[in-house]
Amino acid sequence: MNGYGGSVLRVNLASGKISKEPTPPRVARDFIGGRGFGAYFLFKEVPKGADPLGPQNKVIISSGPLSGLLIPGAGKMDWTTKSPLTGGYASSSLGGHMTAELKSAGLDTIILEDISLKPVYLFIDDDKIELRDAAEYWGRNTFDVEKSMKEKFGEEYQIAVIGPAAENGVLFAHVNHDFGRQAGRGGLGTVLGAKKVKAIVLHGTKPIPVADMQGYRKAGMALFKACKEAEGLKPWQSYGTTIVTSWCDEVGALPTRNFSAGSFEGGKTLYGPVMREQIVITDKGCFGCPCPCGKYSHMKRFNTRVEGPEYETIGMLGSNLGLSDIQDVAEANRLCDDLGIDTISTGGVISWAIECYQRGLLTRDDTDGLELKFGDPEVTFKLIDKIAKREGFGNFLSQGTKRASRQLGKGSEKYAVQVKGMEQSAYATHSATSMLLAYMTCDVGAHHNRAWAITYDLQVGRDKVVPEKVEKVIWFQNFRPMFDVLGSCRLQWVELSIDRDLYCPALEAITGIKRTWQDLELVGARIWNLTRMFWIRENEGFGRNWDLPAPRFYSDPPTTGVTAGKITSIEDVNKLLDMYYERRGWSKEGIPTETTLKEMGLAELVA
Amino acid sequence: MSMTAILRPIGMLKKYIEDKEEIEVQSGITVLDALISKKIPPELVAGVIVNGNYKYKDYLIQDQDIVQVIAVIGGG
Repeated sequence: MNGYGGSVLRVNLASGKISKEPTPPRVARDFIGGRGFGAYFLFKEVPKGADPLGPQNKVIISSGPLSGLLIPGAGKMDWTTKSPLTGGYASSSLGGHMTAELKSAGLDTIILEDISLKPVYLFIDDDKIELRDAAEYWGRNTFDVEKSMKEKFGEEYQIAVIGPAAENGVLFAHVNHDFGRQAGRGGLGTVLGAKKVKAIVLHGTKPIPVADMQGYRKAGMALFKACKEAEGLKPWQSYGTTIVTSWCDEVGALPTRNFSAGSFEGGKTLYGPVMREQIVITDKGCFGCPCPCGKYSHMKRFNTRVEGPEYETIGMLGSNLGLSDIQDVAEANRLCDDLGIDTISTGGVISWAIECYQRGLLTRDDTDGLELKFGDPEVTFKLIDKIAKREGFGNFLSQGTKRASRQLGKGSEKYAVQVKGMEQSAYATHSATSMLLAYMTCDVGAHHNRAWAITYDLQVGRDKVVPEKVEKVIWFQNFRPMFDVLGSCRLQWVELSIDRDLYCPALEAITGIKRTWQDLELVGARIWNLTRMFWIRENEGFGRNWDLPAPRFYSDPPTTGVTAGKITSIEDVNKLLDMYYERRGWSKEGIPTETTLKEMGLAELVA
Repeated sequence: MSMTAILRPIGMLKKYIEDKEEIEVQSGITVLDALISKKIPPELVAGVIVNGNYKYKDYLIQDQDIVQVIAVIGGG
């Protein structure tokens, strides 16, 4: 098939059996690739009720038809599993350089099945595919292992690796790649750890078939030209995602002290230009990227280096923990990356713990003698280490905010800022109803990237609860994740305002199949409904209550900043859900109707 | 003689100046005041670049400055 590596690689970790099968053309037609393949194989192959950390769960790693080709940002691959953190669908998009190697090895998807008896790593060099003993790497940190493997195999080999946190079963452990890119959310690393897979090493040299080489070159160059000529290119290259830190602070969206406010009095020293001046030493991009958002930093005070921090980490490990020194935030980032835990969930669960401590719901007896307070970098570093090792109080926090708050009780659930068990990423949503709805209905839990709608709130009125906002969120949810399906980065469209119609001729030239954005958005809606059905199938009683936001946003207005005194009432929260469900063709409990499933072409798959 | 500078909105902010590439603004006022005077919503401006350097909305515009204002577009 043009645009595809051509095969699905199936690796049974228990038996050691490795087999290939052709990428199914019908699945490519209906789900295209990347995130679409992940959702399809997850629903079809992981049996109902599978323990996320047991042998029945699978890790599905997929590229898309644009991956690894000369398209701006075509360095994305999707990682999908049943999440140990949420019990539902987990999908995380990994940048860097792995996806190009996967395609060039003739593969579209790797499916990891069952559990290995001993630590292993998967080695792929074109058709040489082996499970190898990972005893020498087990227990070691991510940067150390990646460096050792690069030295052993060569710079051209791309490596994804888990850290000790994943081996120890921290429920929000990530997969690290390229010394700073992650499949970060939902515990993908945790599942690899349970399967005893320490790393995947990838190298490929095969050509990727393209339907119309001349058309592909022309369409690809048109996309690169648009990026190069974009007015926003220079500031984006200089600051990456940190360009929004000052804006979030200004409009009350910067998470501050466990989302108790949206503006931070110490925010100015976290802003992008300050970070650039104080710690950034170079820019770092993914495969085929003309506008690298990655910033590589040197923290002189610690004499350490890290890729980052990007905005989400600045929000969650910075302002949300009351930290105002960018070196402290970058060091916390480095610790999380090296030990192998998601910075967003880590920031969320630590900020929750600090607030509980301040409110007297936790005491020194609970925290191994630590006095928890906002703005204390040393306590933050200690807690990150304890979480990764699941040591003492860190073991309690390693299960994530939802479980920890349920275990603690005493009303601490009110301060748990999560949806469906996933800690909310770095946008405070006290007064931004589109963004609130985006978090409530996101298909992996409270994550921002499916529908970053907060700008729309400011354009049409942040407190308004109107159908246009619901339409916008749904459009985003159907459209934006399609970049994760195609295997390219969305940030060229998002941040440089590249005309999205430029992608269609490229996709057609590569695959030989003409698709408009209208066609692609239908695929996006199909995947959205399929992942919703996965949540429903895997969680008894799943319904409207699962879509409610953190209580803070409808009951606990900030006392400072531009959003002081503002919340979204629970009546408006429910009104948003009513409109959303109706527009999606779902019942009042948020269940897709039979008619909707038929329209989406899913009736047979979900039956 | 009045002192002026150039304001260049980037992206969707252009629509607030009738899709022009740039407009003149008075110097001696802040970027925030310049935005308000031209009816460009300040909350939709993510970044301010003056003569190639990043500034904030409280920057006092100097004569002959070139002030680029970047829209918050689609987010991370």
